[in-house]
Amino acid sequence: MPIDDHQIPGPGAPDPRIPGGEAPAAELVLPAPPSETPPAALAAPAIGSSARAEEGYQIRLGMFEGPLDLLLFLIKKKKIDIQDIPIAIITREYLEYLSHKERINLDREAEFLLMAALLIYIKSQILLPREQPVEPDIDPRKELVDRLVDFQRIKAAVGVLREREEEQSQVWRRAALTAPLPEADLDLIEVSLFDLAESFFTMLQRRQGESLQVIQGKELSMDDKMDEIVALLKEHDFLDFLEYLGAHDSLEEALLAFFCLLELIKARLVVAIQEQLFHTIKVWLRKETSFAKVNE
Amino acid sequence: MTENMSRILEALIFISVEPLTAAKIAEVLPEVSPEEIEPALRDLVAQYEASDRAIRIVQTAGGYVFSTKPEFDPPVRKLLQIERKKKLSGQALEALSAVAYHQPVTQAEIAAIRGVDSSYSLHTLLENKLIKIVGRKDAPGRPLLYRTTEKFLTYFGLNAIEDLPSAEELKKLMQEESA
Repeated sequence: MPIDDHQIPGPGAPDPRIPGGEAPAAELVLPAPPSETPPAALAAPAIGSSARAEEGYQIRLGMFEGPLDLLLFLIKKKKIDIQDIPIAIITREYLEYLSHKERINLDREAEFLLMAALLIYIKSQILLPREQPVEPDIDPRKELVDRLVDFQRIKAAVGVLREREEEQSQVWRRAALTAPLPEADLDLIEVSLFDLAESFFTMLQRRQGESLQVIQGKELSMDDKMDEIVALLKEHDFLDFLEYLGAHDSLEEALLAFFCLLELIKARLVVAIQEQLFHTIKVWLRKETSFAKVNE
Repeated sequence: MTENMSRILEALIFISVEPLTAAKIAEVLPEVSPEEIEPALRDLVAQYEASDRAIRIVQTAGGYVFSTKPEFDPPVRKLLQIERKKKLSGQALEALSAVAYHQPVTQAEIAAIRGVDSSYSLHTLLENKLIKIVGRKDAPGRPLLYRTTEKFLTYFGLNAIEDLPSAEELKKLMQEESA
């Protein structure tokens, strides 16, 4: 494989194009201190922001969705063939972008650093002489190229979805009029079976330490239990999922209550909702049910 | 015959909030054969397209449903008191298209595809019911597996997941873009 590029800027041999490692980044053209960028803008950069990136170095990392996005941008900018990436050139460019950061916010930019490490690693794989080529046909760049090509496809798909979303945002169907809980907050999360099961096991664990009890020979029927739950919901509006299950004397009864709740959720008679992530799960009677009862 | 069938279907679709599927039609009209229903449906869709009505019938998520035409977006929004429809963020959309093209897929796999942590985006997508958990992968840690939902199809006006551009078509799109 021809290696037409050389010299990776590293700590030992600073690239002349990057102003000295120790020099403060003040010399660089950086319109706004990166720290001023509100975290919200970082978390959800506006789409199309990378298109504005043509303005040279006055762009911030926050404009890219991630390191692959930045790499693709550089590849496009340098008009490089993605199948034959000159790793040294792209690494230099990439590090130059990173060097504009005065401080690295590890929470957000660890991924960018990881990619820099990967680029340097690939380059070292190309440069290192080997006594015996391990697998002569395998290009060290291949894995990265495959990832980039796949990511490029995902980006193209994003474009398609964005267009369709725009189209669909202008048409209306009747489903829009019948949200399940119209008066409720939009942040409500209808919980999945996994959440419910997890919640149930939490309760079991909590109760494990409790002393053993004699199980009374009580007749338990699912129908009765479901009626009881519906009656309770009518009375109290909602039940705290864990509290309700925990209030049962025996495991058998708690299990029955759990299955009854699942059954009611499946029948769409009740709905299990978590107001916020990590909040307790509440069970509500579905609003439609009351309508259905009236119609009967 | 077809004409009358079209009108029956029109009534059924009109009253359906969720897209009306062929299976549902067969359930309601067991005496009618699918060979009769298919052309009647197509005829009905064409009739609405040809008319200058404000509504049309669209095929989405494997069913048929009435929809307004785009030019009536402003008055409808006013009626519903909706300023504008919420759009997905770039991050969420990217995670969503990674799920759509690699499903069933785990959070770690999506993070690898995108090169960034995707837990927040996946949470947003789950909340909006555009993706769902379909089980756990038989791999270390038994990570959760995600798939797109039916709401994903209706949200983007797709009839089936196969309606998304194929890898080949995406390649063509990319070439056009760089050309």
